[in-house]
Amino acid sequence: MYQFRRILKMDLVNLFTNPMWLFYTTAFPFALTLIFGFLAKGSYSDNITSYDFYGITTMIYSALNAGTLAANSFMEKDIKGPNMRLIYAPVPSFAIYFPKIIATVIFTTVCYTAVALLLRVTVHVNFGETNTVYLWLLMILVEIFAASFSVMLCCVLKTEAAVNQILSFAITLMTLLGGVFFPVDGLGKAVTAVSNLSPVKWVALSAFQIIYDGKFTLLLPACIILAVVSVICILFSTKFFKTEDFV
Amino acid sequence: MEAILSIKNLEKSYQAKKVIKDLSFDVHKGEILCILGPNGAGKSTTLNILTGVLNYEDGMFQSKGKNVHDHLRLFKKRLGIVPQDIALYEELSAEQNIKFFASLYGLKGNALSTSCNQALEFAGLSERRKDKVKTYSGGMKRRLNIACAIAHQPEILILDEPTVGIDPQSRNHILSSIKELRNKGMTIIYTTHYMEEVEEISTRIIIMDGGRIVASGKKEELKEHVNEERLYHIDVDHTEGINEKEFYHIEGVKHVSISASQVELATLKSVENLDRIISVFIQNKVKINSISCESTSLETVFLRLTGKSLRD
Repeated sequence: MYQFRRILKMDLVNLFTNPMWLFYTTAFPFALTLIFGFLAKGSYSDNITSYDFYGITTMIYSALNAGTLAANSFMEKDIKGPNMRLIYAPVPSFAIYFPKIIATVIFTTVCYTAVALLLRVTVHVNFGETNTVYLWLLMILVEIFAASFSVMLCCVLKTEAAVNQILSFAITLMTLLGGVFFPVDGLGKAVTAVSNLSPVKWVALSAFQIIYDGKFTLLLPACIILAVVSVICILFSTKFFKTEDFV
Repeated sequence: MEAILSIKNLEKSYQAKKVIKDLSFDVHKGEILCILGPNGAGKSTTLNILTGVLNYEDGMFQSKGKNVHDHLRLFKKRLGIVPQDIALYEELSAEQNIKFFASLYGLKGNALSTSCNQALEFAGLSERRKDKVKTYSGGMKRRLNIACAIAHQPEILILDEPTVGIDPQSRNHILSSIKELRNKGMTIIYTTHYMEEVEEISTRIIIMDGGRIVASGKKEELKEHVNEERLYHIDVDHTEGINEKEFYHIEGVKHVSISASQVELATLKSVENLDRIISVFIQNKVKINSISCESTSLETVFLRLTGKSLRD
């Protein structure tokens, strides 16, 4: 466990000292919410403002992007060399890839919490008031899912470029279908039916249900599904991770 | 001498291509074993098998009589690895890098600090211990790359071309440090493209080509292999019309290599045949500019055994 803790600490240091990643997880979602919120200002009521809507959807989109960060912290060009020393060291395999998932989730949770606080103060985004903790539980599970899925892809595909391409395509598709940036229900029955397949839609519905209805009927199934899929991804990582693929 | 690593009849393939063929050798305690070979000879694959990272299809890899892969984590604890590429966290200091990598081998607390100090001193980086690695020169990074591998005081140190692209001063520092480590009882396994390094530090040499060992022994023994021959370098105006078969007809000629303006011949020392060699040029109306005779070096041994230059 000592080595595991040391590797986790190093992964956290690598994430928190990278200015690009800090920008990507703080300034980017903050600016995205402000821009979308401002552009759609006239289309929303006073009860649920455009900033409320895009504040939440941008958080979901950003949580999914935790996958990209996990892939980077595993295989990014500058990190891959020193990470290779971990393969030579007497540490169990899971201590190489598993801390990447935990570090990514800690890093994104800290950054997105800071962004949420800033959005709350500046444009009064509603994050669920007394139910914020449930909303954050959901977001953290989305981050765990995204990071686990990404690390699994790294273990299977062995290249960061291929993983990033797949993740980028998958995240964009799921968020568009999930109506994160614009509602898709008005685009016809077929599109609505397809959008039901996007897990992002259900996460967004669950989030809005927690915030505005104080209901948790979608939260439990969403959490269970995300947790189960994450565990499956980690098990697949265990199966596919081979040290010799990295030398 | 005690064998601390033993490889027997090892076979390794990538997809359908066999890259290691029937490889057998021992590594003895306290030696500096240099592994030489042209690109694609199987050196890196052999090193990766020795680190325990790479599996193999057939054969045996033992340490102190035990199968390495049955006790892999214990075995890895005894190793220090210096990868060919710089493997350091550039945003961190030298001290942070050494402490992190040494801690992976179980060092903590005072023992970790002491080992880190010793490694920094060894690498000559004590004064810049707090500086970020990205501010270091290439030579300093290479030295730190080694320091990170020895902080936990491994029994066996494996270095994969550790002096690539550095200045002579840093190279000398690294080579003398390696000899110092050996004097302290560490066993060293070393690959390089620089023959002068092998001449300077090796206690034993393995020459590989095509996934096999083509020769092994102390450098004096290897030189003995080709000592019965002498090598002529003949610089000429041109080599048009010269056929190597003409030289092979001369008694004692063992090896011929013809390039645009030079002919190299290896011939038996016991046969006086220079006049007949010169007459081939005269018959072909080729003007000889100079003739030199080379004494046996490791480079010659390597060339004769593999047919390739070390940097091929």
